[in-house]
Amino acid sequence: MRRFVPGRRALLLLPVAFVVVFLIAPLALTVAVSLWQRAGFWVKPALSLAAYEQFVSGARLAVLGRSLQAAAVATAIGLSIAYPIAYALARHLSAAATRTVLLLFTIPFLVNYIIRTFAWTWLLGRTGPVNSLVVGTGLADQPLDWLLFSDFAVYVGLVTSYMPLMVFPLWISLSGIEQRLVEASWLLGAGPWRTFWRVTVPLSIPGVFAAVVFGFVGSFGESAVPIILGGVGYQLMGNAITSALDVLNYPIAAAMSTAVVAVMLLFLACWYLAFDLRTFLGKILRWRF
Amino acid sequence: MTRTGSSRRDFLKYTAATGLAAGGALSGRLPAALAAAGGTVTLADIGVGDPDGDWSRFTNATGWKVNLVAIGNAPSTVLNVLVAGGGARVYDIANIVGGMQKPLVENDLIEPIDTSRMPNWAKNSYIQQFLAQGKPGFEFIGYEGKVYGVPTVLQGDSFAYLPDVTGPLDSYAALFDPKWKGYVALEDNFTTTGQKTALYMKQAGLASIKDPADMTPAEIKTVVDFLIEKKRAGQFRVIWSSFEQAVNLLVNKEVYVLDAWEPMVFAAQRKGVDAAYANPKEGFLLWAMAAYIPKNPQRPKERLDVTYRLLDFMLGGWYGAKIALLRGYMTNPQAPAYAKAHPQEFTADEAKKVADIDANVKRKFEKGGTWQNRWPTHVETYESEWARFKAAR
Amino acid sequence: MKARPAARAAMLTGIGLVLAFLYLPLVPPVLFGAGGYAGIRQNPILVDAVRNSLLLAALTALVTPPLALLGAMAVRELRVPRLVLLVLLLPLFVPGVSMGLATAVFLKLLGVTPSLRTILLVHVMWTLPFAFLVVLAAMATFDPVYLEAAYVLGAPRLRAFLDVELPLIRPGLLGAASLSAIVSLNETIRTSLVQGPLNTVQTYIWTTYLQVGLSPSLHALMSLLIGLTLALVAVLLVGKGRRGRVVTG
Repeated sequence: MRRFVPGRRALLLLPVAFVVVFLIAPLALTVAVSLWQRAGFWVKPALSLAAYEQFVSGARLAVLGRSLQAAAVATAIGLSIAYPIAYALARHLSAAATRTVLLLFTIPFLVNYIIRTFAWTWLLGRTGPVNSLVVGTGLADQPLDWLLFSDFAVYVGLVTSYMPLMVFPLWISLSGIEQRLVEASWLLGAGPWRTFWRVTVPLSIPGVFAAVVFGFVGSFGESAVPIILGGVGYQLMGNAITSALDVLNYPIAAAMSTAVVAVMLLFLACWYLAFDLRTFLGKILRWRF
Repeated sequence: MTRTGSSRRDFLKYTAATGLAAGGALSGRLPAALAAAGGTVTLADIGVGDPDGDWSRFTNATGWKVNLVAIGNAPSTVLNVLVAGGGARVYDIANIVGGMQKPLVENDLIEPIDTSRMPNWAKNSYIQQFLAQGKPGFEFIGYEGKVYGVPTVLQGDSFAYLPDVTGPLDSYAALFDPKWKGYVALEDNFTTTGQKTALYMKQAGLASIKDPADMTPAEIKTVVDFLIEKKRAGQFRVIWSSFEQAVNLLVNKEVYVLDAWEPMVFAAQRKGVDAAYANPKEGFLLWAMAAYIPKNPQRPKERLDVTYRLLDFMLGGWYGAKIALLRGYMTNPQAPAYAKAHPQEFTADEAKKVADIDANVKRKFEKGGTWQNRWPTHVETYESEWARFKAAR
Repeated sequence: MKARPAARAAMLTGIGLVLAFLYLPLVPPVLFGAGGYAGIRQNPILVDAVRNSLLLAALTALVTPPLALLGAMAVRELRVPRLVLLVLLLPLFVPGVSMGLATAVFLKLLGVTPSLRTILLVHVMWTLPFAFLVVLAAMATFDPVYLEAAYVLGAPRLRAFLDVELPLIRPGLLGAASLSAIVSLNETIRTSLVQGPLNTVQTYIWTTYLQVGLSPSLHALMSLLIGLTLALVAVLLVGKGRRGRVVTG
C-alpha cells in the first residue's frame, strides 16, 4: 500500500537535517567546550569535569532549582487559565467569536516584550495605579511592596508572556475532537464531568503537551522577566549563563547550557515513558502498516 | 468542494511566495540598506554614541555613510559579538565603555590606534590630562604601553537621591544606611557596585581593603558577605540592570537612594522629579568610553582610512556637542566652544547646556576619586561572588 | 452544541477579564508615546530596524510552517517518530544565549559572515518547534483513513494531500505561520549574536533600554502597532458582519 515517491523521504528529512546541521552540530561543540579547560582567555581541548564541579558546588545550582520551580508554577497557572479558554472557544462559542478572541490574544505580542514586561513595573510599583487603587479604596494602609520586584511579579510576567501561546495548541486539539465521541459518552450514561475527564481531556493530550512545552520551556529560558520584575538578584538560568559569559568563562557557561538541555531531555524521556506516544500523536500513528 | 479548491490555490500561492521570498532573502538582494560594502563604515555602538542618526556632516565631508548597529555593553555581549559573532569582520568601530583592552587584545580582536592619523587627538586636552600614558585613566584606552581606544565620552559616577525625602547626602554610606531600608537600589554590576561598596567599606573602616579597584579574592568575599547581610536585612528594593529601569525607580519614587549614572538624574529631572546627584566625600568613580577598531585583516586600506576619519570626527566639536547634549556625558574640550560658536546648529540654551555638562564633569575629574576597573585581576572571583550575592536569600 | 446564553455570557466575561489583564501592560506605552510619533520617521536606525523586523517576521512566517509540516509528516511516516519529535523540539530546549552563541561560533567556523541570512536562520530554528507542535496538534485530529480512501479512489499522493488533508489542517498551518511571525517579532537574545550589520526593532529597543533610555518614539511605535492591528481587527469584524448579513438577507 505504501508508495515511495523518489525524493519524498529526503523532503521529509529536510527539517530534521536542518536542525541537525545548524543546531545539533553547534550544540555538540558546546558539550565539548563544557569539558574543556580554560587557557588564558580561550579554552583548550581537555576532558575535565571542572566546569560541572564548579556549577554544582557554587551558587549557580540554586538558580537551576529556582528556574525549574518558576517554570513549573508558571506553566501550571498558564494551563489552568488557557485550558478553560480554549475549551470555551472550541466547544461553546461561535466561529466568529473564536476568531476574534484568538486574534485578540495575539495582538499584545506585537508590542516588544521588553516594553510590555517593563510596563508592569509602572503598573505594580509602590506609587503605581494598582497600589493607588489598593490604598485609595482602603484595602491596605500602605502600598503593597510584594506586588513588584517579587516572585509574584515574576509570575505575572511569565504567565502573561507564555499563557497566550498555550491557548493555540489547546484550541486546535480541542476543536478537532469529534463531537460523536462526546455524544457517545453521554449516551452511555456518563455525566458531563465524567465525560470531560474521561473523553475530552485524554483526547486533548496533544494540545496539552504542546501547551506545556511552550509554557515550561518559555518560562525556563526567560531572561528578561527575572531581571525586570524579580526581586534583588532574582535570576533564572539564562541570566546565570550570561553572567558567566561576562568573564569569558566559556566552560562553565557551556556546562550550564548542557545541564539545561539534559534536564529538558530528561523531562521528555519521562513523558515518553509515562504516556503512550499514541495518546499524544493521536490518529497520526494509526497510520502503520 | 469549492472550499477545497480555493484553499489549494491559497496553498500553492503560499508555497510560491515562500520560495520567492526565501530565494530573495538568500541571494541577499532584498533590502537595499544591506548592501553594506563600499561607501559605508559600520559602527557598533551601545547607544550613547548615536547622534540621533545624523551623520550628514561626516557623509558630506567623506562621501561615506555610517551604519550604526546598536549592541549591548555587557562584557558578554561585546566579547561574544567580536569573538564568536563574526563581528570583527562586520564592524569597523566598536564604541563601548572602555577598559576592555585586556580581554580584547589578548584575544587578538582589536588593533592598536595610530593617534597621529586623527588631527583632533592632539587638540584633546582631556586625553593629555586624564588618559595619557602614565595617568591612571590610561587603563581605559591603552594596554601594555599601546593605545587601543579613542575616548569618546568621559564621566564620573556616584549615586542619585531624592533630596526632598532624604536631605543632602554626601557619602556612599547612604546606600547602606538602615534609615533608607527598602528604598535603595544598586546596579547589577560586579565591578561598579563592588568597587563603590569597597570604597565605602574601606573609608568607613569596616574592612581593610588595599585597593578597592582591584581586590583580592578574600577582599571580594568580605564585600559580598557585607552586601548579602544587607540584602537579607531588606536594605535593597531591587538591583537594576538598565538605564530605563533606574530612571523609573527615581521618577516613580520607588526608591530614594539609587546607585546610578548622572544622565539618569537628568532624565528624571526632565520628567519633573527633583532628583540630585551626589558629590560623595569618598570621591567619584571615573570612566571613559572607548572606540576600538576590531582587527580585520581583510578590511581594505581605503575603509581603514575612512574609519580613522570617522574616529577623528567623533573627537570633533560638532559630534562632541551633540552627544553631550543628547546623553549628558562630557565628550571633548572642543564641544562647548563649538556649540557656542555655531548658533545655527545649537541654540544658546543648548550651548549653555553643553558648557554646563562639560564644566560639571571636569569638576569631578579635578576632584578625582578612583578609576573604575572593568577587568580586575580576579575578575572571575568578582563574577562568581556576585552570583552568590544574587542567589542569596 | 451551543451554550445557554447565561453560560455563554459568563465565558465571555471570563475571557474578557483575561484579555484585559493581557492588555494592561499596553497602556503605559500608549500613555508615554504621546508626542513621539514624529520622531519615528526622523530616526533612520528605527526606520531600518522596523523594515528588517517586518521582513524577518514575514520570511519566518513563510519558511517555518512548510518545514514544520514536513516535520509533522515525518513523524507520521518515518519509523522513528520519537526521534523526529525529539530533534524538532530541541531548539526549544537550548537556552537562548547558548543557542545564539553556539550558532554564532559555528557560523564563524564555516566562514559565514553575519547578515540577514544568519538572522533568518536563527529565527527559523527558534520558531520551528512552535510551528511544528501546532501543526502536529492539528494533524493529530486528522484521520489518515481519509487519505487511504483517496488513494483507493486512485488519487495521486500529492493530489490526495492537497484536496483531502490540507483543507483539514489549514487552521494549524495558519496558526503556525502567525505563531512563527509573533515569535520572530519578539526574538532578541539569539538575534543579537548574529545580527552583523543590521538592527532589528528588538535589538535596538533592548540596547536603548539598557544604555540610554527608551525614547517616546519607541513607545509611540508600539502604540501605533497596537492601534493599527486593533483597527484591522475591527475592519475585519465589520466586513465579516456585513457579508454575513448580505448572505443571510
